[in-house]
Amino acid sequence: MDFRFSDEQRMLVETVRGFIASELAPLEDEIEQTGALRPELARAVFEKSKALGLYGMNIPEEHGGGGLSALDTMLCEEQFGHTTDILIRRAFGNVYEVLLACQGPQVDRWLKPAVSGERVCSIAFTEPGAGSDAAGIRTRARRENGKWILSGMKHFISDGAFSDFFVVTAITDPDKGHRGISMFLVDKGTKGFTVGRDQPMMGIRGTSHLELHFDDVELTDEHLLGVEGQGLKLALSVLGRVRLAQVAARSVGKATKILNMTVDYANDRHQFGQSLGDFQMVQQMLADSAIEINAARTALWECADQIDSGLDPRAKISMLKVQASETLGRVVDRSMQIFGGMGFSKDLPIERYYRDARIYRIFDGASEIHRGVVAKAMLKGGKSVYDPWAA
Amino acid sequence: MKVLVPVKRVVDYNVKIRVKADGSGVELANVKMSMNPFDEIAVEEAIRLKEAGVATEIVAVSIGEQKCQETIRTALAMGADRGILVKTDDAVEPLAVAKILKGIVDEEKPELVILGKQAIDDDANQTGQMLAALLGWSQGTFASEVKIDGGKATVTREVDGGLQTIEITMPAIVTTDLRLNEPRYASLPNIMKAKKKPLDEKAPSDYGVDTAPRLKVLKTAEPEGRKAGVKVGSVAELVDKLKNEAGVL
Repeated sequence: MDFRFSDEQRMLVETVRGFIASELAPLEDEIEQTGALRPELARAVFEKSKALGLYGMNIPEEHGGGGLSALDTMLCEEQFGHTTDILIRRAFGNVYEVLLACQGPQVDRWLKPAVSGERVCSIAFTEPGAGSDAAGIRTRARRENGKWILSGMKHFISDGAFSDFFVVTAITDPDKGHRGISMFLVDKGTKGFTVGRDQPMMGIRGTSHLELHFDDVELTDEHLLGVEGQGLKLALSVLGRVRLAQVAARSVGKATKILNMTVDYANDRHQFGQSLGDFQMVQQMLADSAIEINAARTALWECADQIDSGLDPRAKISMLKVQASETLGRVVDRSMQIFGGMGFSKDLPIERYYRDARIYRIFDGASEIHRGVVAKAMLKGGKSVYDPWAA
Repeated sequence: MKVLVPVKRVVDYNVKIRVKADGSGVELANVKMSMNPFDEIAVEEAIRLKEAGVATEIVAVSIGEQKCQETIRTALAMGADRGILVKTDDAVEPLAVAKILKGIVDEEKPELVILGKQAIDDDANQTGQMLAALLGWSQGTFASEVKIDGGKATVTREVDGGLQTIEITMPAIVTTDLRLNEPRYASLPNIMKAKKKPLDEKAPSDYGVDTAPRLKVLKTAEPEGRKAGVKVGSVAELVDKLKNEAGVL
């Protein structure tokens, strides 16, 4: 067991952290005020980041990515958490590992352009009747004359406005339940595929959340990602790492950034002739936040290390999803309390972080779903989730 | 042309420095350390000279404890070609640093040594000048622009009250000021390549240098806190105070 960073890890984090602080952070206020990232700025941050090799770092080198291990990905993703969702997407790419299932001509058509940043991909699983219950979808793909005919709708599709293509789940065999669901690669602009309204959200301003409508969209076998009927299985096998990266690691990063600001504020702000940090009740809040962040980060590294060792720590990923997102929620709530009226004011970003934090307990499987995963694993003989020496 | 770039490991510029309780120095335990920002500018300038086809090889040198190899790796990841760590656990003063660097210059025979005008820890601003004296080379200090053409270098210097441009003969020492350039980030591919670049380890004795301190620190103290200001009622009062109390008018 070695918790020391290599020179490569240290330098990588320094580059990512420095890039975010000087290139991305200055853009956040405008995005918050206008609700959008100007296209020319989006282009500029993409090009700068790309030149440093920071786009698609999670994807193996043979597909043009950075080839980072799961652990190194988490170190970077924690830093990504210091900025906003839309800037992460444009600068570093949310290149979903599910695309690694691309075969034959799919590689050049979808995988490689997604890794290079030439084309942007969104995941389209969620429907009004199917959120955490990914198998509860109603979108259908029927077989007709050797083609697939896709019909149905999706919603809350993050970054849908910017994306060029989508990974869409659809029922291909209604009699087989979750074993009858497949994934399709659907290009924007395909006949019958229209994007609906952008659904306004409480936080993460600047990222669009679209409705997608599929009205008898004609697809071929080339659009089928992975094996027919194994869409959910494929999703479950690769989305764990995404969840660990985009929810757990970014939550740790956000909580850390917020706590950094709070510690400075507690030192600088004086009331009743002493700094806020001199009040024991404030000290308790600061210490609790530090303790929780530290615990979540260490657990995150361990979980990522298990992925790198070839294990499939699904229950641990669920634990981390809950632990990190709820840590973020508590940390930002305490920080708001310490900042007081200034925290509630829109003159400081604390209120924005507070709004942005809330979704982390909801998306990618609500806390309750993941607690269920953990409990079921424990009850089915998986005591190793909490006792590494368990028989 | 070979370029030598000395880089120093110092307390990161973002760290709020604290004086040790016993006044013996600055607290270094659990403090983030980084490359001296002026040296980072020197590394960047050397890389730009190489990219422009003026320099052919960049050697980064650091003197100090084993951890200084991190600073060298950072220089290698930015674009330096190889590194030399002169390892010592003692505090090394500018004169000893300059003597060690002279030893390396004698061995490596660079035509240009480019380094920070000062390190942000002790702010001594001595190493470059001492090295120039020991070598008998010309020097262009506080550089905000450097042009090298043939056997000459044109250096624009940031001096009190403005800029001074001088022409110096190579080989030369250049010390960098803040406005010379904006250092690049180490890119992911270059970070991975840096691992394979050679890094030699030496000791001060290899260059026959005695690093025993010649200075004695008597006391380290925090600067006095800023005194509270006063509010003035009118411009006339302000001018009066500036004239008669502050004595600045």
